Amino acid sequence: MRRRRPVNASSTPLLARISLASVLLALLVAAAFAILVVAIASLRKSTDTATRSKDVAVATLELEKLVLDLESGLSGFVLAKDPHFLAPLRSARAELPAATERVQSLVQDDAPQRQRVRQLAAQVDAYVSDYVLPLVAIARIDPAAARASVARSEGKRRLDQIRNGFKRVLAVEDARAADAVHSANRKSSRALEIGFAALGVSALLVLLFGAYLVRSIARPVREVAGAATRIASGDLAIRLEEEGPGEIRELEQAFNSMAESLGQNKRELEGQYERLRESERLRTELLSIFSHELRTPLASVLGYTSLLLRRKLDDATRRRYLEIVDGQSRRLAALVEEFLDAQRLEGGRFELNEELFDVGELLREQVQIHAAETDRHRIGLRLPATPLNVRGDSRRLAQVVGNLLGNAIKYSPEGGPIDVSARRLDGQLLIEVRDRGIGIASEHHSRIFTKFYRAEARASGIAGAGLGLAVARDIVEAHGGQIGFTSGEGAGSTFWVALPSLAEADAEPGETRAAS
Amino acid sequence: MGKTIVICDDEDSLRELIRAILNGEYRFVEAADGHEGLDLIRRLKPDLVLADVMMPRLGGLELLAEVRRDPALGALPVVVVTAFAGQRAAAMEAGADGFLAKPFDPDELMATVEELLQTPR
Repeated sequence: MRRRRPVNASSTPLLARISLASVLLALLVAAAFAILVVAIASLRKSTDTATRSKDVAVATLELEKLVLDLESGLSGFVLAKDPHFLAPLRSARAELPAATERVQSLVQDDAPQRQRVRQLAAQVDAYVSDYVLPLVAIARIDPAAARASVARSEGKRRLDQIRNGFKRVLAVEDARAADAVHSANRKSSRALEIGFAALGVSALLVLLFGAYLVRSIARPVREVAGAATRIASGDLAIRLEEEGPGEIRELEQAFNSMAESLGQNKRELEGQYERLRESERLRTELLSIFSHELRTPLASVLGYTSLLLRRKLDDATRRRYLEIVDGQSRRLAALVEEFLDAQRLEGGRFELNEELFDVGELLREQVQIHAAETDRHRIGLRLPATPLNVRGDSRRLAQVVGNLLGNAIKYSPEGGPIDVSARRLDGQLLIEVRDRGIGIASEHHSRIFTKFYRAEARASGIAGAGLGLAVARDIVEAHGGQIGFTSGEGAGSTFWVALPSLAEADAEPGETRAAS
Repeated sequence: MGKTIVICDDEDSLRELIRAILNGEYRFVEAADGHEGLDLIRRLKPDLVLADVMMPRLGGLELLAEVRRDPALGALPVVVVTAFAGQRAAAMEAGADGFLAKPFDPDELMATVEELLQTPR
């Protein structure tokens, strides 16, 4: 049978395990989400960078167009001497500062590019103030000289220089935009990979977690439910393996100890029921025995009375019959008394009329009475020289001794010696009654003093109600004494009674009851 | 001629009572237990047996069974006399020829014994 073990300290409570797993799972999902957010933010930043580079390129191209407008306006006016060409030149010149300003503001955050744009703006300014405007003024005064100057390619050189500047700015922005797009692509595919991986891992973990819950909670709970159903149907022997984690193990242990105590209660109840039935059976048997015990002396009383009434008898016979009727009537009275005693003992009503008396006298009297009742037994009595005074109820103790003697005779049907003795031993008074009769088999020893218990006496044809020893024990114990026996099957029995003895100095023989 | 009756009962007074009721017309042999009774019956081949049920060593019903098993004893009449009132059926089943419950009526005892002794065997 399994005993309830204390909860295993090394087993982490299930609640803690589930909480921990849930928290870890949540952290994992949050981390995956954070990675995705970061990836998206970085993607947006790359896109912004690409967009800004495009804006810079557009503004730069517009600026370049204005510069080309200046140049073509100038060339037209100088070569064709037509003042109409001055109109686009003027408008281009007017728009120049705003366009420059726009480019500069776009590259505000980009130090090397800002430097380049500033240099470019300075070259454009220098081209306008050092070349375009002076050449327009010269052309107004001396068109030929202006043409010669254009032919010297001073303007073309400056313009190429400016164009190269524009090319550099644009190239930088192009490279930057391409870079940003490339990086955005790389980041977005990376983010997708991480996102899918995190999703996969999360899904896997959720599955594992679910499987764990099923294995560690659902299955044991179902087992407990199944076992509870079996207990409900009466199978109290079922026990669960105490193997689950934390609370589940506690549940299994609690279940087992419940089953254990249910089984124990059931066994106790069954035992009580068995004892009740046994006592009921004994009571029924008692009734039959009681009536048998009453009918036997009654048959003598009625039979002899009938003879006394109907027949003419001589005095001696009449007297003999009357003595038999008297003896059998006394036997009836004693029998009734014995049953009343048993009844009284059962009700707990038991009174002792205590007095000081000599146990030796009591034994002599009882031996005499019983010796007269049997011719098959030889009853011997051994007593010390001094009186054996005790304080107690002499009538009750005589009943005890009479009972033991009666049993000794009854249970040695073949006859034989019966030895009665009394002596002081270790401050107690010890009375012994020994027979050489059928003895008591060891399996009956524990119940010999039980009321109505008669071992095999009924089957052996030995009469009795099974009350004598039960009453004897109650009387002896009421005196603060003890009663017991040693016996073996076929080896006879020795019953003993130990009574608390008085010190010899206290014993006043004068109080000793008069004996016949 | 005096017929022989064996009385088996562990109560001395009961044996004496039966003897007194039947008034000396018969030869009586007494036994205080079943064993003793059975020995006497086998030895004496009596004309009738009166047997108590509850006796030491061998009860009346067992004694009856032994008698019925013994071919030499033939149809020996056995009357069961007991203080167990409820045993009439058991006694008859075991082959008793008569049954008397203690306390018994002296007239009934006499009638039973006379009737059984007069029945031709």
